[in-house]
Amino acid sequence: MLLTRILRSVVVLALVGLLTMALPSLTTGNPAIAALGMEASREQIAEFLSRLNLDDPAPQRLAAWLGNAAQGDLGSSLTTGREVAEEIITRLPITLELLALGQVLALAITLPVAMASAWRPGSILDRFATTVAFVLISIPVFVLGLLAIALFAVMLNLLPATGWVHPLDDPVGHVRHLVLPVLTVGLSEAAVLVRVLRADLITTLGQPYVMAARSRGMSLPRLMLTRALRPSSLSTVTLVGLGFGAVFGGSALIETVFAVPGMGRLAVSAIGARDFPVIEAIIIFSAVAVLLAMAIVDFLYTRIDPRTRRGRS
Amino acid sequence: MAAVEQTPAATAPHAATQTYNRRRVGGLDLLCLTYLVCLATGCLLSLVLPQIDAYGQDFTAVLQPPSPEHWFGTDSNGRDIFDRTLKGGLSSIVVALLTVTIGIVVGGGLGVVGGYLGGVADVVVGTLLELLLSLPGLILVMVVITLLGPGYWTIGTLIGIFMIAPFARIARSATLAVRDRSFVQASRLLGAGPARAIVTEVIPSVLPAVGAYAFTAVTAAVVAEGSLSFLGFGLQPPEPSWGGLISEGRTHLGTAPWITLAPSMVLCATILSVNLLGQRLSTTTRQP
Repeated sequence: MLLTRILRSVVVLALVGLLTMALPSLTTGNPAIAALGMEASREQIAEFLSRLNLDDPAPQRLAAWLGNAAQGDLGSSLTTGREVAEEIITRLPITLELLALGQVLALAITLPVAMASAWRPGSILDRFATTVAFVLISIPVFVLGLLAIALFAVMLNLLPATGWVHPLDDPVGHVRHLVLPVLTVGLSEAAVLVRVLRADLITTLGQPYVMAARSRGMSLPRLMLTRALRPSSLSTVTLVGLGFGAVFGGSALIETVFAVPGMGRLAVSAIGARDFPVIEAIIIFSAVAVLLAMAIVDFLYTRIDPRTRRGRS
Repeated sequence: MAAVEQTPAATAPHAATQTYNRRRVGGLDLLCLTYLVCLATGCLLSLVLPQIDAYGQDFTAVLQPPSPEHWFGTDSNGRDIFDRTLKGGLSSIVVALLTVTIGIVVGGGLGVVGGYLGGVADVVVGTLLELLLSLPGLILVMVVITLLGPGYWTIGTLIGIFMIAPFARIARSATLAVRDRSFVQASRLLGAGPARAIVTEVIPSVLPAVGAYAFTAVTAAVVAEGSLSFLGFGLQPPEPSWGGLISEGRTHLGTAPWITLAPSMVLCATILSVNLLGQRLSTTTRQP
C-alpha cells in the first residue's frame, strides 16, 4: 500500500522533473539570446549555454539539477544573480503566513456558518448563507481583491491598498498590510468550504446513528460538534490541504493584486524574464508540496475516520 | 489517492435545495440565459460591426465616466470600455469552448477507458491524473505561453490540458458505477467487445455526470483565462481581454474605477449565470 504509493509519487515527480527540464527546448529561437539580449557576444552565449546546459536533453539536465540540489545548490537567477535557494528562503515565509492566516480565517467563517446552515436546511439563514457563498464563488479571487481595495483602501481609506512591510521593521504596518489580502483569501476560500461542509453535514445528519443519538435525547449542538462534524470533515480537510499545496506560486494572483513579495510574485516575474533556474525550482518544489500536502491529508483521513485505514485504493 | 476520489460538492445531494429548486424555468434562469445570449451575440458582433470599436483612441474623451455615449466610460487612451469589453469577451468564449471540448473528449475518454478496462490502463490513467494534479497549472501554463507566444488556441489548449483531470475523474467514477450493471453485462454477453460496450452502453450513462461538470468547467476556464490575462500572460495589448482590462484599470482605481469595475462586473455576471444555470440543470435533471 504505502510502497506503491511512494513508488507512484516518485514516478510522478520524475515525470514532473523531465517535463520541467524539457521546457527550455520549447523556446522559439535561441534561449540564450532571449535571456541575454540581441547584443550578446558569441562568447557570452557559449558561456551562458554551457553554464545552464540549456541545450542538453531533459534527462541529463534533470540529473545535473538533482546532483546540485542535493548539495543545496539550486543555481542562481539569470536576472538578479541571487541564489535561487536564498530567494525561496526569503519569500516562502511571506506566502506561508498569508496562506495560513487566510485558511484560518476561512475555517473560522466556515465552521459556524456551515453548521448553522446544515442545522435547518432551507431556513432563511441557510438560504442567505448559501446565496452569499454562491455569489462569492462566482467572483474570481483577483476581482475580489480589487473590490476589497476599492472599498477599504480607496473609498473608506481605512487600510493600505498594496504592499508588504517586514514585521520586524514595523509590526503594526505589517498587520495592516496583511488585512486585505488575508480577508480576500479567507472569503474566497470560505465560499467553497461552506458549500462542501454544509452538503457533507446534511448527508451525515441523515445517517441512522445520528437519528439514534437524537432519539436518546442528545441536544443538536452537542450532536453537531461531537457526532456529525468529524465524519463530515474529510472533503474540507482535502481542500484546506490543497490550499497549502499552492504555497509555491499558486498565490500569484493574490500577491500580484496586493503587491506582496512572496513566491507567487517570484514565479510571475521569473516567467516573464524566462529565468529558467528560478522557474525550474518553483515547478519542481511546487509538485513536491502538492504531493506532500496530499500525503498529509491522507494521513489525517486515517486519524479522522479509522475506517479509511485499510481497504482503500 | 483517496483524497481525490471524493464526490465533488456540485454533485453532492442537496436535500433541502432539491425541494425548492424543482420549479420548471424560473425568472432567474431566463435572466441568466438572456444575459449570456446577449453577451455572446455582442462579442460576436464586435467582429463584424464597425460601430464596435475596441481600439479607436479619442484623446478628447479620456477617463470619461459612464455616459449614454460611452456606457462603461473610457480608459486613459479614450478608448470605449464597453466596446473593449465586448471584444475582450471573444477570448473568454473561445478559450472556454476549446477547454471544455478538450476536457470532455480527452478527459472523459481517458476516464471511461481507464474505469471500464481497469488493470494497467487504469494505473496509467491514474498516474497521468496524479501528474496533472501535482503540476502547478497556472505557473506551467504561463511558462508555456511565454515560450510559445499567446493566442486563443494556445491558451485554450493549455487550460484544456489541465481540465482533463477533473473530467477524467468524474467519468471514471461514473463508469465504475455502471460497469457491472446488468445492461452492460447483457451487451457483453451479446458479444459486444470493450469498444462497442463503451460506446453504446457506458458513454450514454456517463454523459449526464460529465455534462453537469461542463458548466463548472466553463466557469473555471473563464476564470483561468481572466487570471492569465490579468497577470499579463493573455492576449497582448492593444488586444483586449477581460483580465487585461481589469488589470489596466488598477492604476486608476481611485479616479476612474469604472475601467476596472465594469469589466469585472461583466466577468462576475457571466460566471454567476453559468453557475446558476448549471446548478438548476443538475438539480432538475437528477432523478431521485
